[in-house]
Amino acid sequence: MTIAPAPKTRKRLNWVPYLLILPSLIYLALFFAWPMVQGLILAVREDGALLVLRSEAETTSSMAGQLPRGMQVNILERQGNPIPPEEVGQNTLLTEVWFQIRGEDTEGQVIEGWAPERRVRVRESDESGKPVSGSVRSILSSSADPLTRVYMEADEDSEVVGQMEARTPVEILDQATLEVWFLINGESENEMIEGWVPSRYINALGDGTRGRIEAGDTSQFTTRYIQRMVNDRFFWPALRTTLLLIVLIIPAQFVLAIIMALVIQADLKGSGIFLYIFAIALGLSDLAVGIVWYSIFTQLGYLNSILQGLGLIDAPITYLTAGTRYWILIAVWLAEVWRATAIVMVIVVAGMQAISREVLEAAEVFGAGLWQRVRYIILPLLRPSLQVALILRTILAFQVFAVVIVLSGGDVMTVLANETYRQYYDLRNFNVAAAYASLILLLSMITSLFYLRAVRTQEEVTE
Amino acid sequence: MTTIQKTAGQVSPEVKAIHRRMLRRQRLGRTLTYLVGILISLWVLVPILFITSMALTTPAEVRSYPKGILPFIPLSTETMDFFLNSTGILPGLRNSIVVAVITLILSTLIAAPAGYALSRFIFRGRDVFRLSILAVRAFPIVILSIPLAVVFLRTGIYDSVYSLALMHTALALPTTILVLSSVFSSIPYELEEAAMVFGCSPAQAFRHVVLPLVMPGIAASAIFTFVLSWNEVFAATILTIQNRTLPAQVLVTLSQSSEPYQFAGGFFMMIPALIFIFFIRRYLFNMWGQITK
Repeated sequence: MTIAPAPKTRKRLNWVPYLLILPSLIYLALFFAWPMVQGLILAVREDGALLVLRSEAETTSSMAGQLPRGMQVNILERQGNPIPPEEVGQNTLLTEVWFQIRGEDTEGQVIEGWAPERRVRVRESDESGKPVSGSVRSILSSSADPLTRVYMEADEDSEVVGQMEARTPVEILDQATLEVWFLINGESENEMIEGWVPSRYINALGDGTRGRIEAGDTSQFTTRYIQRMVNDRFFWPALRTTLLLIVLIIPAQFVLAIIMALVIQADLKGSGIFLYIFAIALGLSDLAVGIVWYSIFTQLGYLNSILQGLGLIDAPITYLTAGTRYWILIAVWLAEVWRATAIVMVIVVAGMQAISREVLEAAEVFGAGLWQRVRYIILPLLRPSLQVALILRTILAFQVFAVVIVLSGGDVMTVLANETYRQYYDLRNFNVAAAYASLILLLSMITSLFYLRAVRTQEEVTE
Repeated sequence: MTTIQKTAGQVSPEVKAIHRRMLRRQRLGRTLTYLVGILISLWVLVPILFITSMALTTPAEVRSYPKGILPFIPLSTETMDFFLNSTGILPGLRNSIVVAVITLILSTLIAAPAGYALSRFIFRGRDVFRLSILAVRAFPIVILSIPLAVVFLRTGIYDSVYSLALMHTALALPTTILVLSSVFSSIPYELEEAAMVFGCSPAQAFRHVVLPLVMPGIAASAIFTFVLSWNEVFAATILTIQNRTLPAQVLVTLSQSSEPYQFAGGFFMMIPALIFIFFIRRYLFNMWGQITK
């Protein structure tokens, strides 16, 4: 395919092509590059592994230190901090409600200020449920101060405006929701760290002086997920089977594809029909192909029917069971060769069409047989096509998935893509699934680079 | 060959013998090639025939053993009816079609300008763009579905046919760009130039001259995108729970389903491929041959 040369007169920077490729660039950045990076991050970063302790009970204050999730800590003090209403309701988040009230203080003067909800009994609310009036609660415990302090702000550290007697009627002007913050301390690497944290990250235990860090707010690099993947009992079988399948499938596909391409290039009458038939598998889903081969290898399937029809066996053989793993391997191998040879064939045919007829005819005239022509002319000239097909096929082979699930029932024989699916879907371990996905990515890239290098060195040798 | 026979009168019998031998060898080679072609065709077609005859018969026949090698006895739509009326199949079919149609529209709309730019303009960064498209194609894109699932969960668009279509578009986009660029390249730029000489604006020249000529190619690429999305099962199973596509539904229910259901499902999923590959076979080399250049 030749590319029409653009008119050479356009000297100044032409922004039209950039505008034309912009949508695809944006789309690929958004739905390819970014998720790819996210996937790698998921595999090695643990969300919420660390909790940041602040020197003041404010998110903006400086960091006092970090403590890991799951740690037991001492709760030394508590304090309320205003938070936006949409954040209320998280798991362990403790809140305090404060009311802005107006009423008479002990000296008979009308004062206005803030008091915590626990000191005010709401008597009346408006239609929307917002409290409008109430009274100061009486305090039953004898040791406590019988008077209720009214503060300047919704904060026990702020200035006291006045004190109210129990049962004083008050108007409720406003209310504020505060999140409780804890002053905690805990030991990390032989060092005592003390600081303020929001209660949403802490599960307070017992009397409220001890607690546990339930979640963190910062992520941390971790090899935990990768370790979990490697230690999974299905990991090594999956890796082994995937590599074994690649080694078995790819040579068979290439031999078959080259034979197919030679048949199509032979210029026979009806080679169009051959092309269509050979290419059918290009559009078949791996799931459907798995089912097709399942219908052949299942106990009451076609293979047994044919063998019995020929009188070779007396009773149906069971192929696809845990005891006969090699039959599953053979079935997957056949199914993959059957399904995915078509794409190699198309790439090879496209490459062969570029080989000039004269060269082949000349070779024929000089008495080169078919094997010699293939070995010394077609294969060397096809090298770039074969390289592309190799890379593409290997990457696709790392993703073999549905065929294996159908033919092995999911866990008798397993491959990497299968494990990715199992970790995500059955076990809900997103991070371990991402680790598997990253491994597939890594293996694909290594093999691609290997092919590129291997082919280049060969060229350097021959030149 | 006729010229050889005409001049054969003047050449020695030895040369004649050599010609005869060559002819015989050629004929033999031809027959052998046919034989190999037919054998490979059987290898491709026989399994399809098996599944087709299983899908188009009665469930009782599907369960029988040994199975007859003669297909379609008895011919019946019972198995297909059973499959299509199973829970989740019709909604799955609808979802599959919706996802595939959105995918083909979205990827064609985004890829066509890029394909045009690649085929018609020489601009700084063109090779980089082309190479990165090739590189994207060579990535195991399916693994994108894990991080995308997490992102979709967070943003609340998980389990929707639309978010699955976004993923499938990412899957199809690199191929579509390369195919459409080769389709545009097959239309000589001179045609556009001529239209502009006769007073068309570049946009008009594109609309009235290029577009009608590339429509079949674009249609072929769209069909291929449709089949790709229709077949895709990994991302579909990971990104959806309630709104499953047909392959995802079949895969998830596979272990609890009967053989008639499985075989009918396998056959049903193959139908679009059998039809569409026939229509786009002329464009196959545009599609895949392109990437080697």
